[in-house]
Amino acid sequence: MTANTLIHDLLRELPRSVEIFVPELILSATVVCLLLSRIVGCDKKIPPCWTAIIGSLLAFMAIFAQFMYLKSGADAKTQVVRSLFEILQLSADGVGTIGPYFSGLLMHDHFGTLFRLGLLLFLVLMITLTVLTGIPDSEDGPDFYALMCGATVGMLLAVTANNLLMLFVAVEMMSVPSYVMVGFLKGRKLSSEAALKYVVYGAGTAGVMLYGISLIAGLLGSGSLPEMGDRFAFLMGKQTFSLASGETITLVLGIIMVLVGLAFKLSLVPFHFWAPDAFEGASAEVGGFLSVGSKAAVFALMVRFVLGFDGEVPVLQSLSTFLGIGLGVMAVISMTFGNLAAYTQTNMKRLLAYSTIAHAGYMLLAVSALLVTLNAPSGSSVNPSEGAVHCVEGLTYYLAVYLFMNLTAFAVVALVRNETFSEEISAYRGLISGGPATKVLCVCLAFSLFSLVGLPPFGGFFAKVLIFMAAFNAGSIHWIMWVFVVIAGMNTAFSLYYYLRVLKTIFIDPPPADRLPVNAPSLAGWYVALIALPLVVLGMSPLQDDLSRTAQFVASSLFK
Amino acid sequence: MDSVGLNHYLFVGAVLFVCGIVCMATKRNAIGVLMGVELVLNGANINFVALSRYTPLGLDGQVSSMFVIVLAAAEAAVALAIALNFYNNHLSIDVDRADDLRG
Repeated sequence: MTANTLIHDLLRELPRSVEIFVPELILSATVVCLLLSRIVGCDKKIPPCWTAIIGSLLAFMAIFAQFMYLKSGADAKTQVVRSLFEILQLSADGVGTIGPYFSGLLMHDHFGTLFRLGLLLFLVLMITLTVLTGIPDSEDGPDFYALMCGATVGMLLAVTANNLLMLFVAVEMMSVPSYVMVGFLKGRKLSSEAALKYVVYGAGTAGVMLYGISLIAGLLGSGSLPEMGDRFAFLMGKQTFSLASGETITLVLGIIMVLVGLAFKLSLVPFHFWAPDAFEGASAEVGGFLSVGSKAAVFALMVRFVLGFDGEVPVLQSLSTFLGIGLGVMAVISMTFGNLAAYTQTNMKRLLAYSTIAHAGYMLLAVSALLVTLNAPSGSSVNPSEGAVHCVEGLTYYLAVYLFMNLTAFAVVALVRNETFSEEISAYRGLISGGPATKVLCVCLAFSLFSLVGLPPFGGFFAKVLIFMAAFNAGSIHWIMWVFVVIAGMNTAFSLYYYLRVLKTIFIDPPPADRLPVNAPSLAGWYVALIALPLVVLGMSPLQDDLSRTAQFVASSLFK
Repeated sequence: MDSVGLNHYLFVGAVLFVCGIVCMATKRNAIGVLMGVELVLNGANINFVALSRYTPLGLDGQVSSMFVIVLAAAEAAVALAIALNFYNNHLSIDVDRADDLRG
C-alpha cells in the first residue's frame, strides 16, 4: 500500500471517524482547558471542578445520543433525544454504521458504545463525589481533574481497541495518570509508597505485555485483533494444536504475556500485590476510580482480545479452550485468595481492595466460560453463539451493577473519613447513632455490601446468577467448569462473613464514648442514596429486565 | 558465515528482555528497577523494527516502535516524579524501605 492510497483512505473515512470519536474529543478538550486555565490563571475564577463536570457531562450526552441512535435505529421516541441527534448531526453513514474506524485501529459497535456510556457516567459520578469530599484542594484541582479525564480517555480507547498497538496505548494511557493519582496525597508517607509500588509493578508488566505484543504481531504479520485467528489458522495449515510446534509456543507465550499485562490491571492473583497497597495508600475516591473504571475497561479489552482467536478451525478451538480453562483456574484462585485475605483486614480500604480482587475473579469466570462455550463441539447441547451471548451478557450486567455497588462503598468510606478522620473498621463502631445523613450512609453501605455478597433482592444477586448460569452451561462442554462454579458458589458463602463483620460494627457495636456524634452533610446523604438506588432498582424492578435485555442486545453484536 | 538475519535481531531483543527482567527483579534501587523497564521496552522495540523489515508486518512495526518510545518517555517521567516524591518522604529510594503498607 503506498502512502498515497493510505492518505486517501484515511481522508475518505475521516468524517465518520470523527463523528464517532466526538465524546473522546470533548474529554480531551476538557483536559486541555483544565491545563490552560492554570497557565492563564482563570482557575481561581472558575473552579476547575465545574470545567471538569461540564466537559464530562457533554461527553456523556454525546455518547448517550450515539447509544440511543444505535439502539433505536435513528428513530428516537422523545423530543430531547431527537434534538440531541440533530445537534450532534448523527448520520446513518457515520454513527449508524457498525465497523472499524480510524483505518481499523478502533472498533465501533454496540458493545463498545455501552461500555463507553457506562464509563462516562462513572466519570460524572466520580467528579461529583470528589466535589463533595473535596479531595483535590483548589490549588491541585486542575491537575487532578486533568488526570482523571485523561485516564478516562484511555479507558474509552481500551473498550474500542481493535489493534494490538491500540491495546498497548490504551492500557498505558489509563495507567500512567492512575500512578500519579495514587500518589496524589503529597507529603503522606503511605501515599508515596503506594504510588511507587504501583508504578514499579505497572511499568514492569506493561513492558512484559509489549514484548508479548511484539511476538504475536511478528508471528501473525498483523496487529489487527479480528484477523489474529484467521492468520494463525492459515499459518498452521494442517498442523494440529500441540505445544511442540514453534509457532504455537510463540503464540501461546505472546498471549500469556499480554494476559499478564491485563491481569495486572484487573488485579488478578498472582499479579495482585499492588492492589491492597495502592488502595490503602491512595485516597478512597481514587481507589473507587481504579477499582471500577480501569476494571470495566480492561474486561472489555480482554473480551475483544480473546475473541480475536475465535474460529471454526480445530487448531483455534483447542487454543481457545486451553486459554479458557487457564483463565478459569486464575479466576477461582483470585476469588478464593481475595476472600480469604479479606478476613483479617482491619482497614476498610484494604478490605475493599481484597473484595475487588475476589470480584475480578467472579467476572473472569464469565470470560473463561465464554471461551469454553464458543468452542462447543458440533452436536453438543449448547449453541455456541447463543451461549457466548449469555456469557458476555452476564459480564456486562455484573460490571453495570459493580459500578454502583463499589462506588457506593468507596464513597461512604471517603465521606465517613471526612467526619471521623479514620478509615479503620474500628472507627465505624456505632456509626448508625449519628445524624440523619450518617444514617443514610450506613444503610447505603449495607445495601452495597449485601449486593457485593450477592444476596437477593439486590442487583449483585442477579449479576452473580447470570455469570454462574453461563459458567454452569459451559460445564456440559468441559466438566471442569462445573468445578469452577462450585468453588465460586462456596466463595460467595464465605464472603458473607467479612462483609457482615463490618455491618455488625456499624449497626450493633456501641459507639466509643469519647467520640462526638458523626454528622455527615445532608448533600452527601442525598448523593450516596442516589448511587445506591440502582442497586435496589436493578434487583427488583422492570429496569432489571431492561438492563439484561440491553446487555444481551450489545453482546449479540459481538457475534455476528 | 551467514549474513545477519531476522533471528539475530530477535536474539538481541530476547537478551535485552531477559536482562531487563533480571534487573527489575534484583535491583533494590527504584531507579535501577526503572532502568530494567527501559531495557524490556527496548527489547520489544528491536523486535518490532526487525519484524517490520523481514515479515509482512511492514510499516506497522516501525510505527509501533515510535509509539512505544513516546509512551516510554511519558512513563519514565511519571515514574521519576513518583520516585522523587518517595525520596522526599523517606530520604531513600530503596524499594525495600517501602514496607509500611502490608497485610
